[in-house]
Amino acid sequence: MENSLRIGVDVGGTFTDFSLIDETSGVAHHFKTPSTPHDPSEAIENGLKEVIEAGFDPKAIRNFGHGTTVATNMIIERKGTPTGLLTTRGFRDVLEIARQQRPHLYDYSIHRPAPLVDRWLRLEVGGRFTADGEELEPLDEDAVRAAAAQFRAAGVAAVAVCFVHAYRFDAHEKRAGEILAEELPGIPLSLSSDVQPEFREFERFSTTTMNAYLTPKMAGYLDRLVQRSCDLGIKALPNTVHSNGGLMSMETAKTYPVRTCLSGPAAGVVGAAQVSTAAGFPNAVTFDVGGTSTDVSLILNGRGAYTPLRDVAGYPVRCPMVDVHVIGAGGGSVAWVDDAGALKAGPHSAGAVPGPVGYMRGGTEPTITDANLHMGRLNPVALLDGTMPVDQAGAKRVIGEIADRINASADETADGIIRIAVANMARAIRSISVERGCDLSEFALVAFGGAGPLHAAFVADEVGIPNVLIPEAPGTMCARGVLLSDISRGFVKSHVMVLEDASWEAILEDAGLLTAQARAWLDEEGVPPEFQRTVRVIEARYLGQNFEVRVEGEMIGKEDFIQSFYRVNDEVYGYHVEDREIEIVNVRIEAIGKIAKPLEEPPAIESAVEDAYLDSRPVHMGEDNGGWCEATIFHRSKLPVGADIPGPAVIEELTSTTVIPAGWHGTVDRWRNIILTRNEG
Amino acid sequence: MSDINAIDMEVFNNRLLSITDEVMNTLIRSSFSTNIKERKDASVAIFDKEGRLICQALYIPMLLSGVMGGVETLIEKRGLDSIREGDVFICNDVYLAGGSHNNDISIITPVFIDGSLEYFIGNIGHHSDVGGVIPGSTDHILTSVFAEGIRIPHMRILREGQLDEDLLYMIAENTRDPMERILDLKVQIAANEQGANSLRKLSAEHGLDRVQRSMTDLLTYTERRMRQRLRELPDGEYTSEVWTDDEGVPGDRIPIRLTVRIKDGDVSLDFTGTGAQAKGAINMGYYPVLAAVFCGINMMVDPSIPANYGMFQPVRIDLPKGTLVNPEFPAAIGNREYSAQRVVRAITLAFAEALPQDRAVAPSADINTGMAFYGKRRNGEPFVYVEAVAGGVGATLYKDGMHGTQVGITNTSNTPAEPLEIEFPLIVREYGLAQDTAGPGRTQGGAAIIRDIGSLVDGVSVSTKADGKRSPAPGIFGGGEGGRASLEYHLADGTVEEIDMFIVDRIMKKGEAARLISPGGAGFGDPGERTAEDVARSVRDGFISEDFAAAHYPHARTKAAE
Repeated sequence: MENSLRIGVDVGGTFTDFSLIDETSGVAHHFKTPSTPHDPSEAIENGLKEVIEAGFDPKAIRNFGHGTTVATNMIIERKGTPTGLLTTRGFRDVLEIARQQRPHLYDYSIHRPAPLVDRWLRLEVGGRFTADGEELEPLDEDAVRAAAAQFRAAGVAAVAVCFVHAYRFDAHEKRAGEILAEELPGIPLSLSSDVQPEFREFERFSTTTMNAYLTPKMAGYLDRLVQRSCDLGIKALPNTVHSNGGLMSMETAKTYPVRTCLSGPAAGVVGAAQVSTAAGFPNAVTFDVGGTSTDVSLILNGRGAYTPLRDVAGYPVRCPMVDVHVIGAGGGSVAWVDDAGALKAGPHSAGAVPGPVGYMRGGTEPTITDANLHMGRLNPVALLDGTMPVDQAGAKRVIGEIADRINASADETADGIIRIAVANMARAIRSISVERGCDLSEFALVAFGGAGPLHAAFVADEVGIPNVLIPEAPGTMCARGVLLSDISRGFVKSHVMVLEDASWEAILEDAGLLTAQARAWLDEEGVPPEFQRTVRVIEARYLGQNFEVRVEGEMIGKEDFIQSFYRVNDEVYGYHVEDREIEIVNVRIEAIGKIAKPLEEPPAIESAVEDAYLDSRPVHMGEDNGGWCEATIFHRSKLPVGADIPGPAVIEELTSTTVIPAGWHGTVDRWRNIILTRNEG
Repeated sequence: MSDINAIDMEVFNNRLLSITDEVMNTLIRSSFSTNIKERKDASVAIFDKEGRLICQALYIPMLLSGVMGGVETLIEKRGLDSIREGDVFICNDVYLAGGSHNNDISIITPVFIDGSLEYFIGNIGHHSDVGGVIPGSTDHILTSVFAEGIRIPHMRILREGQLDEDLLYMIAENTRDPMERILDLKVQIAANEQGANSLRKLSAEHGLDRVQRSMTDLLTYTERRMRQRLRELPDGEYTSEVWTDDEGVPGDRIPIRLTVRIKDGDVSLDFTGTGAQAKGAINMGYYPVLAAVFCGINMMVDPSIPANYGMFQPVRIDLPKGTLVNPEFPAAIGNREYSAQRVVRAITLAFAEALPQDRAVAPSADINTGMAFYGKRRNGEPFVYVEAVAGGVGATLYKDGMHGTQVGITNTSNTPAEPLEIEFPLIVREYGLAQDTAGPGRTQGGAAIIRDIGSLVDGVSVSTKADGKRSPAPGIFGGGEGGRASLEYHLADGTVEEIDMFIVDRIMKKGEAARLISPGGAGFGDPGERTAEDVARSVRDGFISEDFAAAHYPHARTKAAE
């Protein structure tokens, strides 16, 4: 049999990561190339060339998926295309008023971001349904044609169509879409009834508008990517990771680019979920520490915790997404003292350039990385397997300067900066766990990103997590996650009504229609029937509440559903109430194409722990962990399965550094993860 | 600066905030009522054993002093010695228990460690109904606190660990939704207990002394930071005068007169000259005044200062008796947020003179106007729907004010049209920004909101008020005032009635509608200095009309014509 290769790519701001599995040999390769922000597909081409030059046959690439920040960056930099909005009369300012809240309680210089469509390009037309679907006023088709003329004259490149109650009564939206398609040939349209047919107009309009805003340039990017990979002789078309950690085809990604806003982090969570579940930790907290920020999220029963709504650069996006919480603390976060004597770490970051003082790229401000250099946790001579020299003396100098300002020793200060950063990270982890009522002592911490493994044990101590898992090549976790992702897409219909026999029948009918849509889509994506799955979720709440719970399952009887609803309320809120009416809100069908291969055990390597031993050096493990101690230093690549390393120790590898404090030890499991565990007693 | 341990202070502050976050999360997650669950109309605070506020979780500035009032008056009235381990207190009363208004019920849990009282943890939540004469309990037309629902002085809801079911039952049955009250109060009690356990655990792990030393450091640091910000302002006396639109009930406007005296890191706010207490429910008890004052001070002096006892120390407040800001019992206080918004306005105006221009903010809509609808749902059950309508935000030196945004002591969300129409027999005919309401200036104020809501059936009652019609947001440094509020009532045949100020309990017929336009934000600086491009963009976007532009920005129109 021929070689069969699967390639996962994650496009980041600084590096584009690749993860490659040769399915015939089971051998995995992980590597990075510098990103090319002007056209991210160029870096992907460069990486694919490396693969081919290494002797792999491009035709052997069977699966090619990628996580991308193209959409997110377009929003952050506001570099989408000029977009028009067509909406119901009386509602053109929905995008501008948002939820009428200000982002900061007291600082009035902090504003909500301006809508993606300027007011003069937000046009209203007559036509109105009530919540029950009664047509109060027919669609004013002439007004739609007039609006089309205005859009044409203004040169918009995409149009969003967002009508009130179109989540269920979409006739006006559909008709307006037809007219616009006639009047504006070649201009992509995003209809709210198609993009995300869920009630609550602001979030739906925002999501739909963002989709329109992203469509032309996302299509251009994907076309360029296909061109480049075809030119290299790769036949597989690139799939794209969506925000809920599944893959979708190029065509779907072109139609719904808004679904890729959390593409990269979602792949990381999927990867972490697979790795931690295989290692015996189906409940875990992901802990991804980069240069400027830390992402944390929950894995519950082997799946990434999900949210139906979150902000992207200040704009709400309603679509299923991994529930990643981001805080402004990373390796490059700057430590500073304010004028009343408080020591802070972040949120300002020195970034990659000028970066930490110790990296010698012009940085002058002390960062978390500099504190780690001072304490000997990071290699004091060079990082990246010796290829990147560092300036430990420079790091020590700036730490000393800040120590003088708070009247502490340099050691106390470096330790203090790390403790403060760890306290910030810990607060974020506690926050996401209490939101869902989780007991962290039953969780593992999955640490990745360049700086995750460096702080993981300390964060675990702070929040009471007993085990830490450091996956292989933690710096390329997101690319690995792409390889472990299935094809998937969520389908939804809002249908708000009190639960009774008739409405239950209506819900089952909706569920049936959505399931048929989901199957049809899986067919289009080329998923064979035996790999197709659907999962049904009904969202419901007590009448009068605005928070719905998710009831998963295929129950047919209304009473069964009610019992499940009670059970979910018990799980989520700690109680249920029997004599209140229940209101159905949404029905969701998740379409899944099981294409991902399960994690395979890596081949054994012939080595002993001694082969991995590099050195020993003084490392400061924190005032509460014995301060300075002589730590043994290992290189990860030579650690055999079963190795057991007592702290204090440091394990170095190309893209990361793992610190094992005294009182902890680290073992290598059969998947080549390092599992850090607190010693008994 | 070496007197504080900067590292421990920051680390422990984070841990304490984790505890208030955790309790707040439990409140939001486990409560039943939408007020707490969705609107986050609740707050959680930790106090040391002397009742000094240490840290707080807060989404709505009006609740800054909510728990604090309960704790301070508890210690003052009951004395620390009367508190036994396992006691938990409940209270809401403004006159007896430092409350905010009757709907906001506090649960205060004293935390004992090794038999001695070491902390208090408390939370406050807005209960949608606490009885009284009107559904929802508060209404600006009420004239006595006795009409505003049940009054609760400090009572033990738990006595040495035992829940007083009788008391809970008595409170719940004095409201219109007893089941909801009982569920939410039990959640408030349980959430505190969770926080108390976390405080005990933190103290056991790190030593009570070390935790308490860090708390003291935090207060020392915060006071020092507040004083430093105040020292940066020129010493002097700064005055302002703002007005209510009425007395809650129709009546005369009431002045709020403020003299701010800044001297070497201290500031006093003297409200001498403020008008007599209102007949209606817009009077303010002491703790609501405190919340409004610190909302203004935080905006002006240090928007991200941690909220704790240290922040309050450099500030002295004088409130003459018998006035709007210090009424005689039993004046009604339920809609204290109306006046609180004007107190914030008075502070922003007075400080505008003291601050460097780049930190001043022009006054905003400064209202908390509700539109209230009562009626029957499709299934015959009664409904009450009340929503505060936002307005325009004042401009700052470099930025136009935000359009249609909640300001000051509130920051609550709107109810989107779709869920509103699904739930009630109402129709949102327009929800948008009002033209020509943005106060002119070098930077202009934010536009006001139009909220036009009709009834799809006969028999829905509507009440609302055009607050800000008589007291628009005044501009600063030459800027113009924000648009005035206005109110119309539309009959089914299209006839429009101009309403002066109030619609009170008007029964709507099918096809009728109330249309409220809230006030706009004020402008900052001379409109003559606004660039022609900015004016043209506002005209293009329809925020201002050609006529408005010609009247307020003639220079720009001339240029555009050229």
